[in-house]
Amino acid sequence: MSAAQPIAAPARVPSASPHPPRRIWSIGGGKGGIGKSLLAASLGAQLARMGKRVVLVDADLGGANLHTCLGVAGPPLTLGDFIQRRVERIEDVAVETGRPGLRLISGASDFLSAANINYAQKVRVLNRIKALDVDVVLMDLGAGTAYNIIDFFLASDVSLLVVVPEPTSIENGYRFIKSALYRRLRRAAQGDEVRRIVDSAIDARNPSGIRTPLDLLAAVEREDAAAAEALRRELRGYQPHFIVNQVRSDADAAIGQQLVTACARHLGIRSTYAGFVRYDDAVWRCVRQRRLFVDDPEGGRPAEDVQKIAAGLLKGENLTLPWS
Amino acid sequence: MKTPRGTHYEILGIEPSATGEELEEAYRRCLALYGEGALAIYSLLEPEELRAVRARVDEAYRVLSDPDRRREYDASPREPEPDDTDAAPDLPRPEPAVLPEPVTGPDLRRVREARGVALKEIAIASKIGVRFLEYIEADRHADLPAVVYLRGFLQEYARAVGLDPQRTAASYLARLARPGPRATGA
Repeated sequence: MSAAQPIAAPARVPSASPHPPRRIWSIGGGKGGIGKSLLAASLGAQLARMGKRVVLVDADLGGANLHTCLGVAGPPLTLGDFIQRRVERIEDVAVETGRPGLRLISGASDFLSAANINYAQKVRVLNRIKALDVDVVLMDLGAGTAYNIIDFFLASDVSLLVVVPEPTSIENGYRFIKSALYRRLRRAAQGDEVRRIVDSAIDARNPSGIRTPLDLLAAVEREDAAAAEALRRELRGYQPHFIVNQVRSDADAAIGQQLVTACARHLGIRSTYAGFVRYDDAVWRCVRQRRLFVDDPEGGRPAEDVQKIAAGLLKGENLTLPWS
Repeated sequence: MKTPRGTHYEILGIEPSATGEELEEAYRRCLALYGEGALAIYSLLEPEELRAVRARVDEAYRVLSDPDRRREYDASPREPEPDDTDAAPDLPRPEPAVLPEPVTGPDLRRVREARGVALKEIAIASKIGVRFLEYIEADRHADLPAVVYLRGFLQEYARAVGLDPQRTAASYLARLARPGPRATGA
């Protein structure tokens, strides 16, 4: 069972561990309506402006709308056409967005079946996405914690988790982060008994009292020390980045750091704080006019915030904030 | 999850060399994280866990903010920190004892009663339901969860009453001649 971990001192240096190439990015959050898609679109546009060749992938298979965020028409070909093999190459469903360096692979909004793609289809999509000849692939994930969403999240080099300062979003954020971790651990689990323990942990009301990843590791440890060590390695390799959106105060901005601390102490998860985006009516005005706020001279502080997040993530730096 | 462990410094997230100002800052941070209505911790901890963490934070602050008490605390010998996997509950512990084999439920109850430990205490410290602890003591093997969980339960129980966790659990389990027991619903 777990002991709370000591609060990590606020990070002051870029993370020292060597990173795999940060090419595949994903944005999830567990909850709808928290600005995920808009953030994905603006982050993509910002990265392109910084000279990166970027493909945005609308992986919200049931509710694709990234094209609207970017102010472009719904493309004639979508990821659905690739999944259903009406198009052989994934490059062929990538469309220009009117911004140099930024292309879009639109999600399938036209039929429901694409939201329930099977395992082989998912692997094919992921492999082709990874093979795209670009600097950054940025995937916008749908809401919820379905395996399809989580698998895209886990397949990323940079896994971004968006929350807004509201209890519902925080709750779904924790659920998402735990679901994704358990999925990752389940895949790495060796042996029937260990897999059974991981499975039981996924049920939040399991009788074994396993409530957190730390509890789970302790339970596995009692059964099989080597398996526990393997899972511990997986846990260490799981490093989601938080983004706090719609920040209205310093206290809101501090939530990101608090989430990092809470994850470390109570879940054993080493997350980082990628940054926050301040709330501004300018964003809403831009959305209404189907313009992207980072393209707009009136984009204001949220545009600056997105710029900082993009630059920080490219450099592998974490936001350092004195938490208020 | 149990009462958070760690030194007063670790609970507050500061170095033992922290200045008074750093202590105040750390305490303020902890209140922001764990305080009434705190957002970042929402849904992560059960109410009683949150209360336990708050109590630990307050205690740590009370001790460290008083120069005399802090000096006394710094001078006192520290128990070695158990690692994550060795989750001894924070109960007073006499020397771990080993019971003669085979260990039965009634044996365990006798030890527990002799040590004056209430089932409720074990339940709170270990987060194991009192019901399961009673089943262990009553040797109601059919009502107990699968061995993989039961071993953990027995180890927690043994620790709480000052018995050797591994050997107690092994000895108790050796008597269970149930092939492939299943977990009971909680």
